[in-house]
Amino acid sequence: MKNVKWINVLIPVASVLLSLVIGCIIMIILGSNPFIALQYLWIGAFGNLTNLGTTLTRATPLIFTGLCACFAYRCGVFNLGGEGQFIMGSILACVVATQTGLTGLPAVLLSLVAGTIAGGLWAMVPGLLKIYRGQNEMIISIMLNYVATLFMGVLYTNWLRDGSVPQTASVPLESRLTKLFGLRVTTAFLLALLAGAAIYYFLFHTSKGFQLRAVGLNMTAAEFNGFAVRRYLLISFVVSGMIAGLGGSAELLGTQYYLINGYANGYGFDGVAMALIGQLHPIATIVVAIFFAALRVGSTTMQVVTGVPTSVSDIIQALVIVFTVAGLAMVKLPEFKAAVAKLTAKKEAA
Amino acid sequence: MEEILRMEHITKRFGDVFANRDINLDIRKGEVHTLLGENGAGKSTLMNVLIGLYQPTEGDIYLNGQKVRIDSPAKAVQLGIGMVHQHFMLVEAMTVFENIILGDTRTPGIFIQRDKMRAEIVALAEKYGLEVQLDKPITEISVGEQQRVEILKALYRGAELLILDEPTAALTDIEVEGLFAIMEKLTSENKSVIFISHKMREVLRISDRITILRAGQTILTLNKEDTSGPELAALMIGRELTPSQYDKKTEPGRQVISLEQVDYNKQAKHSGLNGVNLTVGAGEIVGVAGVDGNGQSQLAQLIAGVIGPDSGVVDLKDSKVAKFIPQLFIEEGVSHIPEDRNKMGLVGDMSVRENLVLKSTDTDRFSLRKGLFLKKKAMREYADEMQEKYDIRCASVEQEARSLSGGNQQKIILARELEADPDLLIAVHPTRGLDIGATRFIHDMMIEARDGGCGVLLISADFDEILEMSDRIVVMFEGQIMGEFPGKNPPIDEISLAMAGK
Repeated sequence: MKNVKWINVLIPVASVLLSLVIGCIIMIILGSNPFIALQYLWIGAFGNLTNLGTTLTRATPLIFTGLCACFAYRCGVFNLGGEGQFIMGSILACVVATQTGLTGLPAVLLSLVAGTIAGGLWAMVPGLLKIYRGQNEMIISIMLNYVATLFMGVLYTNWLRDGSVPQTASVPLESRLTKLFGLRVTTAFLLALLAGAAIYYFLFHTSKGFQLRAVGLNMTAAEFNGFAVRRYLLISFVVSGMIAGLGGSAELLGTQYYLINGYANGYGFDGVAMALIGQLHPIATIVVAIFFAALRVGSTTMQVVTGVPTSVSDIIQALVIVFTVAGLAMVKLPEFKAAVAKLTAKKEAA
Repeated sequence: MEEILRMEHITKRFGDVFANRDINLDIRKGEVHTLLGENGAGKSTLMNVLIGLYQPTEGDIYLNGQKVRIDSPAKAVQLGIGMVHQHFMLVEAMTVFENIILGDTRTPGIFIQRDKMRAEIVALAEKYGLEVQLDKPITEISVGEQQRVEILKALYRGAELLILDEPTAALTDIEVEGLFAIMEKLTSENKSVIFISHKMREVLRISDRITILRAGQTILTLNKEDTSGPELAALMIGRELTPSQYDKKTEPGRQVISLEQVDYNKQAKHSGLNGVNLTVGAGEIVGVAGVDGNGQSQLAQLIAGVIGPDSGVVDLKDSKVAKFIPQLFIEEGVSHIPEDRNKMGLVGDMSVRENLVLKSTDTDRFSLRKGLFLKKKAMREYADEMQEKYDIRCASVEQEARSLSGGNQQKIILARELEADPDLLIAVHPTRGLDIGATRFIHDMMIEARDGGCGVLLISADFDEILEMSDRIVVMFEGQIMGEFPGKNPPIDEISLAMAGK
């Protein structure tokens, strides 16, 4: 038992190290000194408060979509629609913040609430179709991503277009989220941490969370033991969507301020990757999201100072995902289990 | 008659479990030889050895007097052994013709010689009276015709010995007669058929000889002329009566559950219920005997609230059940040891502790404010206590339930279900696959629950277990209750007959 938990941490960490080593080899082939490059990657991401603020800002939406994926997977359903739910949340927040005439705290609160509800409703669609019609939730949630993206397109090119550029009006200054310590990072990051903590508490310290996890691990047994399986499936979908929707509204109010082409592009699947690397643990998912944001933010400094292209960072990120997924699959192999059992037996004998 | 196949001293072991133990079987040319036995008697394992899916742990196979090693299904085909599985192995989107020539290794070259093959298949079909429509896709033909395609496929590959695994299970009566005509035709052409079944009437109708398997061993091979249905039924089930070590109760308390004319998916004889009447009283064990797959699973699930009846009345403690939802049954004091402990009983990836408290995390004992904060320490203490009381052998209660042995997994379920202090316990194959020690322990605990006033519905394919435990015995056959018998001095012959549908 101890071994299993230990391995759950070891695999992502080993994947990261292995990916960095391969990244270094690529840098050497490119003719750069990898140690200097990594040093600037670090400085770019965490070197001073400004950079740290930027990293946390970039991490915030990833945390939200990561938690969104994590929550649904814990109940055994695959919500790949985090991006669509995130966008629908942003849209509603944008409408409330720019179209209602409200400003200040009421606008902020109402935007967040509206965005959260919008994300939940958007996720309810695949949830209901799965439960009552047996449709594949993955395909439907992915397809709804495109619907959401295109719907947003209609808004910033037509209905809510503001001026000559295809984008919506900006959230007024007084309705934006507060910046922390004068840095780029806003209270959105705190909201993300709060959401992670709340999910952690719910999953591991409440009866309902326990039952939800049981449904995720063995649906049939959960049904035989009297849990309302279908209700849990729907709830997990809706809550998962609400997390993404909250993330979307926080992103809009804290960082982006307006909708534009390319907004939130890729956040959904990034979130799925964060959740998987974080082993579906909410706190670990947050750490992974910050790590990925650091790789992305730091790589710019790395490129400017050492000339190592940012794409090396992309390669490292992709490798981390590949290695973690491969590692997790490897641990499940019977041969691997036998080898571990042998090793521990030897240790105990010695 | 000349012998085609002889299997000598075949033993097949999986870990510590013997699926086949020292089995001897000989098949003659031109005979229909029936393998008769209950589910789990070892028929399928033996046939899988014969067609090369399994390698026997010990023993030899002789074909036409020559010792052979069958190390793959391809080898079996090459040796002239063909099998028609209970669930057909056909590619549904392809036509009958394409299915038959699929996997043909005799014709050399890379091109398919359609005309030549077609002529061959048509000739074979006519010879044995196998009517098939060669150009129809499998999805468009009936089950009976699909079976003929399977037989034709085996013959086309040169089968001299044909194994038919429960071939009549999915057929209508008329189709069964058609199949028997084909079997007779095959044997008249000196081909041999191994017929696997537990339907007595059909066995007596078509077999030349019958070999009975029980608990992985050959009991006896008989000529059809020398035997009768009741004898076969008794042999199949095993008949020695050893006195039960438990007292039998004859005066049950007030009824905890009663079923009246309950139907569920009635048409399906092997997965439905047909006009079932049944009661279980407080403080008695009602044993449901019968060959596995005659509606027992459905009966258990219905009484646990997992499925609802199509018609009929179910009364739970004197009030009519309106909604079939497991949670409502659990609240009414119904506990359930389900037939598949891994799939239905346990969450394997959770710990022993979590599985023990699975149903009760929102009680005051294990949480604050109805589940808002779990008391891990209280759970841990409770789990340790249960580990002791139910003798659950594990390194720690934090161990994953999956990693425990079957007996200890079953004890987790038993602990969880009995600690709920139920009024009704449904126990389905509670000791299947367990060793003697664990079996004895589980039996003792069930008797203790009975003596404490709990009504127990015991469903088991193990006839000895039914005889040992039951205060009252009912027999199920094809979804129906065939009869009710006392648990004290049970009339074994009558019960055997009822189990065979007579």
